[in-house]
Amino acid sequence: MIKTTRKKPYRYLFLMLSLIVYLFSLISSATAEEEDEESFPIGEHGGRLLIEDDVVVELLLYERGIAPVFRAWVMRQGVAVTPGEWQINVELMRLGDEEESISFIAEDDFLTSSAAIEPPHSFDVEVNARIQGVSYEWEFESHQGRIEIDSEMAKQVGIRVSQVTNGIIHQTIPLYGKITPDPQQISYVTARYPGLIKSIIPAIGDEVRAGELLLTIEANDSLRTYEILSPIDGVVIERPGNTGEVAGEQSLLTIANYQIVWANLNVFLTDSQWIKPGQVVSISMGGLSTVGSIAYLNPGKGLSAQIQAIIILDNSDMQWIPGMLVEAEVTVQEFEVPLVITNLALQDIGGEQIVFIQVGELYETRKVELGRTDGNLTEVLGGLRQGERYVVENSYLLKADLQKSLAADDD
Amino acid sequence: MIESILGFSIARRQLVLTLVLAFGLYGAWNFQVLPIDAVPDITNIQVQVNTEAPGYSPLEVEQRITFPVETGLAGMPNLESTRSLSRYGLSQVTVVFDEGTDIYFARNLIDQRIAGLKGQLPPGFEPTMGPISTGLGEIFMYNVYAMNGATQDDGSPYDITALREIQDWIIRPQLILVDGVTEVNSSGGYKKQYHVTPDPTELMRYGLTFEKVVTALRNNNENRGAGYIESNGQQLLVRSPGQLQNITDIENVVIAKVENTPIRVRDVAEVAIGKELRTGAATRYGKEAVIGSAFMLMGENSRTVARDVATKLEEINTSLPPGIIAEAVYDRSDLVDKTITTVSTNLLEGALLVILILFLLLGNVRAAILTALVIPFSMLGTITGMVTTGVSANLMSLGALDFGLIVDGAVIIVENCVRRLSEAQRQTGTIPTRNERLTIVFDATNEVIRPSLFGISIITFVYLPIFALTGIEGKMFHPMAISVILALSTAMILSITLVPASLAVVMTGKISETENFLMRVIKRVYRPVLLLALKLRWLVSASVLGFVFFCIWLVTTLGSEFIPQLDEGDITLQALRIPGTGIDQAVRMQGTLENVITPLPEVLNVFSRIGTAEVATDPMPPAIADTFIQLKPRNQWPDPDKTKAEFIEELEELVSGVPGNNYEFTQPIQMRFNEMISGVRADLGVKVFGDDLNLLLIAATSIREVIENIDGASDVNMEQVGGLPVLTVTPNRDALARYGMNTSELQELVATAMGGEDAGIIYEGDRRFDLVVRLPESFRTDISRLERLPVWIGAQDEGAEFVPLLELADISTDVTPNQINRENGKRRVVVTSNIRGRDLTSFVEEAAQRIQAQVNLPPGYYIEFGGTFENLVSATQRLSIVVPVTLVIIFGILLMAFSNFRDALIIFTGVPLALTGGVLALWYRGMPLSISAGVGFIALSGVAVLNGLVMLSFIKSLFEKDGDLQRAIVEGAMTRLRPVLMTALVASLGFIPMALNIGTGAEVQRPIATVVIGGIISSTILTLIVLPALYHIAHFRKT
Repeated sequence: MIKTTRKKPYRYLFLMLSLIVYLFSLISSATAEEEDEESFPIGEHGGRLLIEDDVVVELLLYERGIAPVFRAWVMRQGVAVTPGEWQINVELMRLGDEEESISFIAEDDFLTSSAAIEPPHSFDVEVNARIQGVSYEWEFESHQGRIEIDSEMAKQVGIRVSQVTNGIIHQTIPLYGKITPDPQQISYVTARYPGLIKSIIPAIGDEVRAGELLLTIEANDSLRTYEILSPIDGVVIERPGNTGEVAGEQSLLTIANYQIVWANLNVFLTDSQWIKPGQVVSISMGGLSTVGSIAYLNPGKGLSAQIQAIIILDNSDMQWIPGMLVEAEVTVQEFEVPLVITNLALQDIGGEQIVFIQVGELYETRKVELGRTDGNLTEVLGGLRQGERYVVENSYLLKADLQKSLAADDD
Repeated sequence: MIESILGFSIARRQLVLTLVLAFGLYGAWNFQVLPIDAVPDITNIQVQVNTEAPGYSPLEVEQRITFPVETGLAGMPNLESTRSLSRYGLSQVTVVFDEGTDIYFARNLIDQRIAGLKGQLPPGFEPTMGPISTGLGEIFMYNVYAMNGATQDDGSPYDITALREIQDWIIRPQLILVDGVTEVNSSGGYKKQYHVTPDPTELMRYGLTFEKVVTALRNNNENRGAGYIESNGQQLLVRSPGQLQNITDIENVVIAKVENTPIRVRDVAEVAIGKELRTGAATRYGKEAVIGSAFMLMGENSRTVARDVATKLEEINTSLPPGIIAEAVYDRSDLVDKTITTVSTNLLEGALLVILILFLLLGNVRAAILTALVIPFSMLGTITGMVTTGVSANLMSLGALDFGLIVDGAVIIVENCVRRLSEAQRQTGTIPTRNERLTIVFDATNEVIRPSLFGISIITFVYLPIFALTGIEGKMFHPMAISVILALSTAMILSITLVPASLAVVMTGKISETENFLMRVIKRVYRPVLLLALKLRWLVSASVLGFVFFCIWLVTTLGSEFIPQLDEGDITLQALRIPGTGIDQAVRMQGTLENVITPLPEVLNVFSRIGTAEVATDPMPPAIADTFIQLKPRNQWPDPDKTKAEFIEELEELVSGVPGNNYEFTQPIQMRFNEMISGVRADLGVKVFGDDLNLLLIAATSIREVIENIDGASDVNMEQVGGLPVLTVTPNRDALARYGMNTSELQELVATAMGGEDAGIIYEGDRRFDLVVRLPESFRTDISRLERLPVWIGAQDEGAEFVPLLELADISTDVTPNQINRENGKRRVVVTSNIRGRDLTSFVEEAAQRIQAQVNLPPGYYIEFGGTFENLVSATQRLSIVVPVTLVIIFGILLMAFSNFRDALIIFTGVPLALTGGVLALWYRGMPLSISAGVGFIALSGVAVLNGLVMLSFIKSLFEKDGDLQRAIVEGAMTRLRPVLMTALVASLGFIPMALNIGTGAEVQRPIATVVIGGIISSTILTLIVLPALYHIAHFRKT
């Protein structure tokens, strides 16, 4: 009696258990859906597949070991079509550029573009093919490093652009140094014959002219009084001797002419190769400034690994006081170059220097080859053309936008 | 035993009632101390150990601080795991303890360890512990701003530094004293500092160095006490004040004497209030702002604390300088209030509906009120239990309470008593005497007490599997199970004490039990249906079986989610920028973003925190900003029907136009939980451990490639560790040797010049500000000028005292790790993946095999698998053991009740029948399966069993008495129609407000309510129709 009835309830029990376990396993596999990125079919050679009816064209930008070229294969109903039976033509439209038409020639089992495809490889592509007498046309976008920003937004975030133009690269090196007297313009007045100083005329600070009487001395030997005249125009800056003292070999008066002073600039090893006599130097100290040129280089006495660059300054208004510390900018080189950009525009992406060009609301990276720079402007050797508009200010925002997928909360 | 309790309750009814009342009062008192929160706290027991290391790059931080701290903290008792991150200027080690560890014990242990560690750290570095708070801790935020035209004492308008000073020195010290507040954090603005910025050329002129400036400042900024003297009997203290008071004082400090002229600070440097090198900022409505946030001490009542903070802030506002306002921008009590309102409205409306149904079906006001009395008392009992077990009142713990379920037991007893009393009155025609009445009440109660107690205990039992959930799910749902079990057990106790006692007291006089119109109509419809079902019993059973299978199929079409997310009302928009983004750049970008969001008509308030605040509770790099968006009440929206999801979609569309940001949308509490728990949040996380970051990266990259190629992998991601641009000043040892210098001298100079060096403290009353010496901004921001920074090399030949920095060091820019993560003492890089359309276990197995075969790990490097799949797998495993075990236990109880295997099984069939209704209800409302819905199914199983029990026990006793199967079934079913309908109706109506409510927090309750309502409807219909049919089939041969 029990045997017959047992079956059914067991079935219920089993049913219920499986339902509950099933419910929980469903709950536990719960996950949120996420949308896929833009994707396109990839062929056996790794190229993009263009499909219409029973025809499949595979177009690949081949850049392994050779200058980049397009390669194309065609299949009809899964069977490769030999290169003789079809032609293909590709039109490339780069941002802010004219259309480029690419023609193809046969090679092995595929067609290859007759010329190398120059970077940037970011373009709208139009493919025209004639396969076994039938014409096909495809269009697709293949963009790299392209961003769209609403012009209102661009204004709001302070994106400012400028044109690539010619310009002057003005390389300078800053140096520090001191104002020193011109050694040829300092005269230490001594007695020709030792003797008693009878009189000493100028006081410290007095201006004297060349030939002016400075001292009278009574020689020890002859007891004759002789005069010493000023050898140069200048100012008395030291007066160690006094009337009544005996003049020996010591200096009695120092007369210095500060009408001409030297700027004695220290040039260290790292810079010395660039510094040459004749280079233009602007010298400044506080509010004072002047321009001169390097008169000569003094390798020094060998006590330190530095050389002195000497600039002779006219100091007729006496504004440069010997001993002053001065800053100097030496113009090392100056070039007029056909393409320059401001350094602000440069951004580093993946170890490469790039700038962003702008066309309307579109921005795109351009890898640039850089030449000389002066810390302000940089010469462009490749990657940009004259007249192209590039982002000067807030290009960081564009870099940030381009790489924002890398930004993640990683804690 | 039950009988003796019953007897006692009826005999000493006044005493019992008094005791119950006292118990109720105790509950009411407990209600005052019950912690109230919006959601259960799911944070683990953790302590953050932060060490600030100004100027240290991630690699140095890891080597010099994180490693010693981590090693020093290893091996503590109850330690579960440690993880750490080393970032520019900050080391954070998070120590996670086993569940249940006392936080103060844990902090004490750490404190001891830290004390022992100090010798191993670079001098001056102090590891400090983060606030004693949890993921729910950040309860209050406010913005300090100046009204237009408000000026400082000197007439200048308030700048961001001045506002920060007010926050740091007026507001914070007062707020931190509020009871229950453990930390007040500041972000935004600049901490006020006095800056001395020497011009290198001027220094060179006088032959001075940075070091000399620093030394001079240090030596001229101290007050000294000098004991006391006695003069004519009077004691005079001697002191010599020398502290610098203001900018002029600082400017006048003499650094050195050059050719008899004292060189003062002002001769070579500028002195001004400067900007600290900050690691964080804040904005509001697109402008820089100062934001303060209060953290609640662990275990406090967030609503009370938030309110106290708000009150205190009001008070502080009155004493702020004129024109300065501190405005609350986030107040947790708003959310808690809203949530509690939702829950209490649901409970209240549910209770009213229950009373109404009782009245309608019993047709007796006294009996209805008496039954309803169980509701408040069991609620108070639940509260007492919650306080004792430390469960807070929140959406989850109160979310599954259904007064219908609670009164089920009482309903059955009261119904039977009323029926028996009125029957007795009808038979005798007189009102029974007191003794007769008491006997009838005793008999009537005793008749149904067993099935109703069994029923309630079964409902209680089915909640037990919830305790098998671990981790976050466990923390979310344990409070729910605890409170439901508490409520049901209280109700159980009440139904053998309060109910019979009050029945005995109240049911005097004439008992009017009118078979009301409603019942009569139902009975008239039910009888033919029942007879038909008995006739077509095989067809009925078969079609029900078919229906069950249909519902199983239906389940597969439902979507699923793990836990429904509480809608907090506010939105947090995390703006993520590329690593290496500077703080000022980030502020500008954030400003643009906020300017876009602010004008939206739905938006009430927008503010953000960028980078890391003063106390590193959430160490974000400057490239990440948390944007808090508060929305206006929906009725102020231009389109009040717009859902929040739609608004977020629009917002996402809008902000995606702002260049340079990536976004993540979350909510404040949710975000905080994520930050603190911070495990791998994807389905699968492959952690690679090792020493060399580059090798780790290579290994992780190949693992990523392997996983990407496995079927079912999606969102495969690798942790970003690189990408922090660094200006490296590498000392050139040969050059240094030429000039006879040590590398440390050069490094010191670079550090002082760029980062600044502390030269003392300037006191202004209580306030203290750092005095910092560093290069002027024009030098610091221009790399080419930095290269020319003159370095003092000591007097040699004339004119050679200084050489440019370039001469002594190579300056280059590099990219270094942005952040170094460690776990349990090893560096690690994580590759994460979600799994779609495939079962987790086989995916993980395949991944493990493929990684083993294809990835070549360097010796000493190893892999661990983690991620939510672990929880899911373990939860599923546990549930697939615990659920059947529970069912077996229930079955055992049923066996005890019937001592008959077949009857127990018949009752058991009610469970799948009930589940079908739940599934249909979910499908009808377009809701996904979730743990919440699962809890609903659990409750449902209990109700279904209770119904069957009530029905079957009566039929059985009739059958045994009579022997006529058909009559026993029909009679029994007809008699039990009312209690079954009543229990079912009260249980489902009790949940109706919950199912329909759209207030804050309702989304968590809705699935439970929906499932239970749907299930109870189906279960009731099926109990009334299918159960008798099955009973007939099962017992037919007996006759």
